[in-house]
Amino acid sequence: MADLVAGSATHLWVLHLIHAFFDGLRRVWRAPTLMVGVYLITLIVAAPLTLTLHDAIASHLGESVSAEEMVTGVHWDWWEEFRAQSDELGSTFIPSVIGFAAVLSNLASIFDAVPLPSALVAVIVLYLAFWSFLIGGILDRLARQRRVTNAAFFSACGTYFFRFCRLAGMAGFVYWAIFSVLHGWLFEDLYEAVTRNLTVERTTFLIRLTLYGVFGGVLALANLVFDYAKIRAVVEDRHSMIGALLGALRFVRRHPKATFGLYLLNGMLVVLVLVGYALTAPLTEINTPSIWTPLLIGQAYVVARLFTKLTFYASQTAYFQSQLAHAGYVAAPRPVWPESPAAEAITNSTL
Amino acid sequence: MLIRLISGCTVAVAIWVALFLQVAPADTTFAASQPTISSATGTVTGKISPRNANYSIDVRLDTEQRKLEGREVLTWRNNSTLTTSELKFHLYYNAWKNTKSTWMRARLRRRGQQFHDRPAADWGWIDVTAVRLLGEGTVSPIDLTDEVTYIAPDDGNPDDETVLLVPLPQPISPGNTIRVELEWTSRVPRTFARTGAISDYFFIAQWFPKIGVLENTGWNCHQFHAATEFFSDYGVYDVRITIPTGWVVGATGVVRDIAENTDGTTTHHYYQEDVHDFAWTTSPDFLDRRDRFEYPSLPDVEIRLLLQPEHADQADRHFAATKNTLRYYGEWFGAYPYDHITVVDPAWQSRTGGMEYPTFFTAGSRWLAPINVGSPEEVTIHEAGHQFWYGVVGNNEFEDAWLDEGLNTFATARVMEASFAPHYRSTRFFGGFIPWVFPGINWSREIDGNRLTGYRRNARMDSQATPTYRYWPGSASSISYNKTALWLHTLERYLGWAVLRQGMASFYDQWKFGHPSPDDFFRTLNEESGQDLSWFFDQVYGTANIFDYGLQELTSRPNSGRGFFHDDGESRFTHDVGGSGYETKVVVRRYGEGIFPIEVVTTFEDGHEEREQWNGETRWTAFTYQHEARATQALVDPKRILLLDVNYTNNSRTLAPKADAAATKWSVRWLIWLQDLLLTYGFFI
Repeated sequence: MADLVAGSATHLWVLHLIHAFFDGLRRVWRAPTLMVGVYLITLIVAAPLTLTLHDAIASHLGESVSAEEMVTGVHWDWWEEFRAQSDELGSTFIPSVIGFAAVLSNLASIFDAVPLPSALVAVIVLYLAFWSFLIGGILDRLARQRRVTNAAFFSACGTYFFRFCRLAGMAGFVYWAIFSVLHGWLFEDLYEAVTRNLTVERTTFLIRLTLYGVFGGVLALANLVFDYAKIRAVVEDRHSMIGALLGALRFVRRHPKATFGLYLLNGMLVVLVLVGYALTAPLTEINTPSIWTPLLIGQAYVVARLFTKLTFYASQTAYFQSQLAHAGYVAAPRPVWPESPAAEAITNSTL
Repeated sequence: MLIRLISGCTVAVAIWVALFLQVAPADTTFAASQPTISSATGTVTGKISPRNANYSIDVRLDTEQRKLEGREVLTWRNNSTLTTSELKFHLYYNAWKNTKSTWMRARLRRRGQQFHDRPAADWGWIDVTAVRLLGEGTVSPIDLTDEVTYIAPDDGNPDDETVLLVPLPQPISPGNTIRVELEWTSRVPRTFARTGAISDYFFIAQWFPKIGVLENTGWNCHQFHAATEFFSDYGVYDVRITIPTGWVVGATGVVRDIAENTDGTTTHHYYQEDVHDFAWTTSPDFLDRRDRFEYPSLPDVEIRLLLQPEHADQADRHFAATKNTLRYYGEWFGAYPYDHITVVDPAWQSRTGGMEYPTFFTAGSRWLAPINVGSPEEVTIHEAGHQFWYGVVGNNEFEDAWLDEGLNTFATARVMEASFAPHYRSTRFFGGFIPWVFPGINWSREIDGNRLTGYRRNARMDSQATPTYRYWPGSASSISYNKTALWLHTLERYLGWAVLRQGMASFYDQWKFGHPSPDDFFRTLNEESGQDLSWFFDQVYGTANIFDYGLQELTSRPNSGRGFFHDDGESRFTHDVGGSGYETKVVVRRYGEGIFPIEVVTTFEDGHEEREQWNGETRWTAFTYQHEARATQALVDPKRILLLDVNYTNNSRTLAPKADAAATKWSVRWLIWLQDLLLTYGFFI
């Protein structure tokens, strides 16, 4: 009997995390407006630079017949000429932007800490700023599990924005340390020391893969803790972000298997989306003049990636709420400011 | 499909599977624990070289200390018209003695402080311990050791020790021969300039005191520079290499005999006639593979491939590339004169890949090397091709590197196109380990093979006529390799391949085992083409001018007129004199300094074409056509004959431009990439 109880307790966290994962999927699925919103943000932030590049390409091609070949396929001579004569933004227009290579290219830029052109850095910062603003409302919506009005959503965004700015400062410091100190140590000092005299490439690569694993693991750990810090800040209406961060650390330490397991499960969902895109991306072949197929496949992929991002938040929120000894949501009620007497009179007159 | 499998998302799985399957040494059944004697002879039939610099060398490698101990006897004949009272030797290893050498200074100027953190064990040097003039018969040798000095003929750098001056007790007249004995010790560096060692892989090149070339104008013995390679006389090399028993050796020439010594070492005796250099490699890890080149109209060649175990599955690719080179170069320019060739697949991180030595060269590959991508084929073809341009035709690489590098780059691209098409562009991610192929983007002979992009970037950096060792180091390869390949390809399109091939074949035949100059090449092409091409050579060789023709204006409007016109003998004002058809104007402009005759083609809606030949000399010219149909487009140099044109987009205009459609198509793809970038960095929120 004791074994049975122990066994049940042992496996309870598995049930909890699986339940939280599917609960998270359900919560995101039932928040389509949220999905549309974050998708539009992703599109809108990317649009100005895309239009700039569009104009640069169109301007360089001008009235040249080279454009015809770029419509039906690739005019490699033109492409190289354009890159050679372009500014920083134009120089990012390389074959790696095509299809699934784009995903690998971007992942590699993180893992290899490749510096980005300043124009792209500015756009990324803007995008992260948007998310910093929206994340309070998003978590609030996902935690409440019911529709909220626009006013309530943006009220929550505003309520948590400055808190999350403080949290972002702490996160920025941690990520800076990971990239500047840990990455430099792992991939310059340690990697160089360990592989300097190796004469077998696959062994060198195995070592690099291991270091990628270590680096990715540390990044994921930091990400996990900051996720729960945000969740605790919203669900428990915490004002102190240091307190939220410490609370998140305590929560992860108390539930390591479930929190890491849930993170891994969500990570697998991302991998599933990437595999799906890898299989469909060849349909965006460059030899077709149609823009619709690559556009639709690409945007479907973006939507799927955003879905997984929200699922991370939703499932982790669900898991956190499932572990609370009190009500699932303890945030203060949305403040309703009293109407002015005049406004009240108008309202009453229309009833 | 296979490309997609290799380069697709499943690559990660493939990598892991492969890692675990292949971490153990790959197929070692061919590993040569017992070296075999080559069936090739090391002798040359047909036209032979002057053989005025002949070496007999004994060298011992201490693999633990990375030290060479050597002794050579040089038999040298004065082939010039001058009497000399001194000898000059190259001591290339001293380029890596410290950061003050001329080679290091140039490299540091180009790449910053890259060598300052190198440990002491990484540096290399050569120390000549004895120099003796050998007499005939019982005459005692004359010790010249105390007489030698270092000189710096190019830049006067007092810290450079790459040229050794040996004063002679009595002058050597033209046609006379002397014998000199030198002893030396040297330290093998961690690789510099594709020479050195890593772990138990040694690549030993430019390793012995090598005499300069005495020309009719004096000694040609340059210091070692970062942007140049080598120049030396032809001769016979008889070399005995002593290394640890069990290690595999590859070298210039063929092995004549192998003798095991009592101290755990083995001496490998190599021999080769009619070459101007000797290099060798040793490692216990090489796989030793053999194949044979056989082609009806060409002599057979035995191919030896020393392969890294992790590239065991790439042997056929190396053999195929080497055979195609021997075939096409043989057919186009002339037969390979030796009966053997050795291909070395260099060790990972050795940085010794892509280098040529007589009958012996290094290729270079990666563990994950997708098919239909130009590696390892392109580098193998290029270095095998150097056996012709550098090996057989031995130009001065210090001064005219373009003459072998450029001709060879041109020919390499031609072989690639002839034998390995289609293949595709690729890139690498994650530290360069993960390859990714773009099946929609074909490798292009013009852009990739002739390296137009690099030339476009550096076109004005140096005139080709500048001695190569004075080129700006950062762009030297663009001027030597890229520009030459592009202007030769331009000539191919201008003269026709048959004419250019005949010219290059004639040059190859005339200068086999010789030291041609640029003028020799130009003269041969003029003779074989039956044209005076000086106007072309003066520009591409003599200047750093760029070529850039463009179509400035294209208009095609209905015929009309307004003003005073004669009508029944009277001049009357008319608002609109209508007419049938269209008036088309084409304005062509020369934006660059370079001048080249070009064709201008204007196409009309009814399919009619107007072709004009313009000598391209003035800054602009205009053509006007009266035609029933409206013009659709006009092109300058429509066949892209002038590959040196650095801006080809401006060479055409259409009245139905599709720039917007093209920009939309490609910016949509870029949009998805940017969105993915945002999502990737969105991880941090």
